[in-house]
Amino acid sequence: MTELRTLIINGESHAVAIQSGETLLDVLRDKLRLTGTKKGCDGGDCGACTVLIDGTPMNACLQLASTLEGRRITTIEGLAAGGQLTPLQRAFIDQGAVQCGFCTSGMILSSTALLEANGQPSAEEIKHALSGNLCRCTGYAAILRAVEQCTGKCDDCHRDKHDAHSDATTNGHLRAQARANGRDLSSCTNVGQPVARIDAADKVTGRATYTADIALPNMVYGSILMSPIAHGLIKRIDTSRARSLPGVLAVITGADVPQNTYGVSPARYDEEVLARAKVRHVGDPVAAVAAVDEATAQKALTLIDVEYEELPAVFDALEAVKPGAPLVHDRYERNINTHVAHNFGDVEAAFATSHHVREEVFTGNFVYQCPMEPQAAIAYWEHDGRLVLYSSTQAPHYVQYMLAHVFHMPLGQIRVIRPCVGGGFGVKAATNPLEVCSAVLSRMTGRPVKIVFSRSDTFHYYRGRHKQHMRFKLGVDAEGRITAFKSEIHLDGGAYSSFGVATAYYAGSMIPTLYKIPNYRYDGLRVMTNKPACGAMRGHGVPQPRFAFECLLNMVAEDLNIDPIEIRRRNAMTPNTTTVNGLEIGSCEFLATIDGVERDSHWNAKYGKLPRGRGIGVASGGFVSGAGYCIYRGQVQAQHEKGPEKFQKKSIFPHANAVIRVSEDGMAAFLMIGAAEIGQGSDTILVQIAAEAMGIPHTRMRMRSEDSDISPLDLGSYSSRVTLMAGNAVAAAGESVLDRLRPFAADLLGCAPDEVRARDGMMYSANDTTNTVDWAEVARQFFNEHGPLVGTGCYKPPDGLGGDYKGATVGTSPAYSFGTCCCEVSVDLETGKVHVDRFTDYHDCGTAINPQQVHGQVEGAIVMGAGEAIMEDVQFDATGHLLNPNLHGYLIMTIKDAPEIFSGIVDSYEPRGPYGAKEIGEGATLPVMGAVAHAIKNATGVWIKDLPITPEKILAALKAREAPQQSPPAYKEAVGRPAS
Amino acid sequence: MANRRHGVPDRKSENDMITCELHEPADLQEAAQYLRQYLDDSRLLAGGTDLLVDLKTARVEARHVISLHRITNLRTIENRGDLRIGALTTVAQLENSPRLTGAFTVLREAARQMASPQIRNSATVGGNIASAVPCADLPPVLGVLNASLTLWSPKGERQIPLTEFFSGPRATARREEEILTTIVVPQPPPRFGAAYARFSLRDGNSIAVASVAASLALDGHGAISACRLMLGAVAPIPKRAVQAEQSLAGLTLVHGINDAIALATQAAEPITDLRASADYRRALVGILTRRALTTAHQRAREATND
Repeated sequence: MTELRTLIINGESHAVAIQSGETLLDVLRDKLRLTGTKKGCDGGDCGACTVLIDGTPMNACLQLASTLEGRRITTIEGLAAGGQLTPLQRAFIDQGAVQCGFCTSGMILSSTALLEANGQPSAEEIKHALSGNLCRCTGYAAILRAVEQCTGKCDDCHRDKHDAHSDATTNGHLRAQARANGRDLSSCTNVGQPVARIDAADKVTGRATYTADIALPNMVYGSILMSPIAHGLIKRIDTSRARSLPGVLAVITGADVPQNTYGVSPARYDEEVLARAKVRHVGDPVAAVAAVDEATAQKALTLIDVEYEELPAVFDALEAVKPGAPLVHDRYERNINTHVAHNFGDVEAAFATSHHVREEVFTGNFVYQCPMEPQAAIAYWEHDGRLVLYSSTQAPHYVQYMLAHVFHMPLGQIRVIRPCVGGGFGVKAATNPLEVCSAVLSRMTGRPVKIVFSRSDTFHYYRGRHKQHMRFKLGVDAEGRITAFKSEIHLDGGAYSSFGVATAYYAGSMIPTLYKIPNYRYDGLRVMTNKPACGAMRGHGVPQPRFAFECLLNMVAEDLNIDPIEIRRRNAMTPNTTTVNGLEIGSCEFLATIDGVERDSHWNAKYGKLPRGRGIGVASGGFVSGAGYCIYRGQVQAQHEKGPEKFQKKSIFPHANAVIRVSEDGMAAFLMIGAAEIGQGSDTILVQIAAEAMGIPHTRMRMRSEDSDISPLDLGSYSSRVTLMAGNAVAAAGESVLDRLRPFAADLLGCAPDEVRARDGMMYSANDTTNTVDWAEVARQFFNEHGPLVGTGCYKPPDGLGGDYKGATVGTSPAYSFGTCCCEVSVDLETGKVHVDRFTDYHDCGTAINPQQVHGQVEGAIVMGAGEAIMEDVQFDATGHLLNPNLHGYLIMTIKDAPEIFSGIVDSYEPRGPYGAKEIGEGATLPVMGAVAHAIKNATGVWIKDLPITPEKILAALKAREAPQQSPPAYKEAVGRPAS
Repeated sequence: MANRRHGVPDRKSENDMITCELHEPADLQEAAQYLRQYLDDSRLLAGGTDLLVDLKTARVEARHVISLHRITNLRTIENRGDLRIGALTTVAQLENSPRLTGAFTVLREAARQMASPQIRNSATVGGNIASAVPCADLPPVLGVLNASLTLWSPKGERQIPLTEFFSGPRATARREEEILTTIVVPQPPPRFGAAYARFSLRDGNSIAVASVAASLALDGHGAISACRLMLGAVAPIPKRAVQAEQSLAGLTLVHGINDAIALATQAAEPITDLRASADYRRALVGILTRRALTTAHQRAREATND
């Protein structure tokens, strides 16, 4: 039943034809095109669709639009009347409370309603009011600061400006090092500043456009049918009923799609576009439809009849490797997807002579990245056969590469557009079924096809963290210095390879980067099971082993009665060291991070001195600043165009490439680079770097990073590579612009070209800084003489990275980050419930290009990591069905759960980084889980070695300790050992 | 389709369009007509925070949705000694109502812990009861306050004690054509206190893993003259722990509490699900019973001093 109803939205009356069951959210987004209101879960759990109804925040997804006639509805578009931002919107920008922006509309509306009712809310009242708005990026800290800014209460509001002066620019030896590297940081006007994000204003007003917000002319809608069983043969698919449904334009199955398998690791492309003969997990794509609207597409899926012959399935990695276990893929014997056997030095000999050796078993959890924006894609084909894809991706180039492979066409024929992306954390790094199926359906229908994942779909697609079963053995001498470390890991990989080969290598390769480990052995097995495929998630493969290692190090410290801070000092990595596995550590201020947290957490006054039920813990971590090698080998060309290519220990092509064009009047500069802004802020820091290199204010910069037709290749946002790699390319492009201007400036200034300097929109002679000329004037003169002023730059990682053994490339990087954090918790000793109270974190990220954004990454990583440590867990039933594919069953922290965070940046300078910068986004996540586990141990006296550390596990461990003769804890502890 | 409640993606789940016919009666009479007309194939819509999710995920399939949003006279809270809460009062109204004073403030405390602000702004007190979800927060609290429910039908009204309303998960004593209109909470006796202890896995926007509501009245000597204990999320229905209640009669709390805890724990019939095991839930019942009784006792003593 459809009726014409009048809705009052943002003060305007809209007569809308509304179906009986239509929610306000769908009416706003699809019929009124007010897309600032976001669909994050469609179940009332996330708050991204928050609107005000008569001034009260409500979930638009849980309101039937027809029932709202006469009510006053306010959406994000209704704020900022006349283009003037409200003080709250301003505060969100000032405080860095906006990252991916997907939760921002809802956050701002909930906050607006709070401030309307209570102009002076306390921190507790703010948290209460915002507890229905989930954020995955910011850790809520900046959001709290933003609301407090509007109450005049924010003590901490100017912290970032303070930090800008405390990093590398103030440190003597680092400044000298920077100068030696040709860059004088003390004179920087853009780099090192807490510049507001360039996309923040669009995000606080709801203008920012995400893929699902886009409606192309004549567009139709697709939907994907997923397997309801974990393992089975497809005996028959009958699509005739679906095809005959009015409004259905195309129905495809495995028989109608390109037969090329695809994936991530070239040696293991094992994903089918749609399952042809066999399904391997609940959620495996089986068929897809395109129809005139979403409802018809969904209806059509129910009319596809699939007959399966169910096969025995295997869900446990330790079971899957046993002889006779059901095989997920015939090609992987004993379900072993990859086996890593690394052995450096002689661990057994070292253990034999060690003062103390401890061996423990740890188990990880299935953790889903859970970006607030579900994946979406729109594809269409140009008349000349080119494919255009809009996608919510964090690696547009790899999507382009993979589509070229699947459709057997040249890369140049494929255009990938990346609109705003609402967070990724790894899940959007691989090519997904939406991207391929929308392209197939579009080719068949001749119309643009849009497919959007539901929240449930995103969980069934998964590609989240591997669950790792870890047996670790650590030997130390009498002073606690590490003598040897042995690691045996089963990684539960789910049904496809995805990133998993790299994950298995990373799980081993990164351990020796933090501490000096003279003897090291790692045996890793990535195992296939009948669950959704695991992939790369923030910290790729490393967070669980890092958690386990940090726990074991703390256990050993306690065994030997050495302070856990001190044992880290004794083993800490030092600058310019090659690790036992052949990784080149350059800059390293790890010790400073340890000193920082010891001081600012008041460690010595707290450790061992807190009352029972309260605890403090410490752990460290770090990560690569970009992978040293591209995921695929050889040149930039589609797989089928390549000859056989041998691996060479160098980059064949530049991983990051930038073009800068200066406007004809010299007053603006356009930066083009395919680096993927996914919420982490890369567009902003790249603009800062470009402006710095050219010597103009960053406010004159425009960013064009979204379109592969415009922006040259960058490998994308993964492996924490963008700041260093794209930053270097952009700096080089900026310098090339400047070089082209030098002769013109020299003429005007009457000096030699190499004496020309540029800073903040002026050019001057190095010998006489009072003799200046306007930068824009020089650029105009250039244009008058030569036409377009364009500079280019590119970046290749250094040649020869890594050792000479199988898998030596994984873990290589131009530079490494280091960090340490202290966590403080309160534990209810009766129920086992943990509240994470406080974090103190220091990080060595090189020179911070934008300190505000560094803190934003740290705060977000801490809250994500703390949630992983105590509550996040994707669960399955005995038949492989997900028990919690939604945001009320899968728990991520709310603002009420989030700790107070102090984030500090240590003085550091990385010679290989742009202006001395390294990564922060993933490294910040690595110390977190170990610190939480240690704090819980400190509070309760029990180590929980099985993630997540739930109240139930804590209580069981406490009970087991009180009554050791009784049965062991109720939770299962895996004790697997990889077969050799 | 049968498996969809487990999130099995044999098709999309939460993003499903709701296909139904919407009816918007102006008063109870008209609502009753629709109920009679569509019987099993219809659902009453109050705040919608449960029903719309259930319709999207097809946990509930109904072709007719009867929205009560035009019925405006059921959205008030009156406190004239006894408390009369209109069924369409939102949980947020309850949370913020200055009319809930004395022992009734426990309702505000329970409301404050429920779901999210957005949900509380929409969800209704009547909906939280009538949905009969085992982990609902208000039924245990209203139960220990001896609340009764007014069920209206064109044939007349009847009153039923809240504790007798629930017959199973999502099943109640409500007859076809009946509409829950009012929740009546009697004026508590002197020296009365009530408390709600709830456990959830996170601090914001959470679902109760286990909860215990307790109320007790003290005699002039400080002994317990009456007690109510209700358990949430650990049985198919919000469940009274009758034996635990009886065990406390005539005792001081300190003398009776351990037995009461043991009996309350025995009364629990928890299941294992993704949030907790049955054993852990049982342990929680003991802990929460102690907390709820202790706080209720403290409040009863403070009420004595008034």
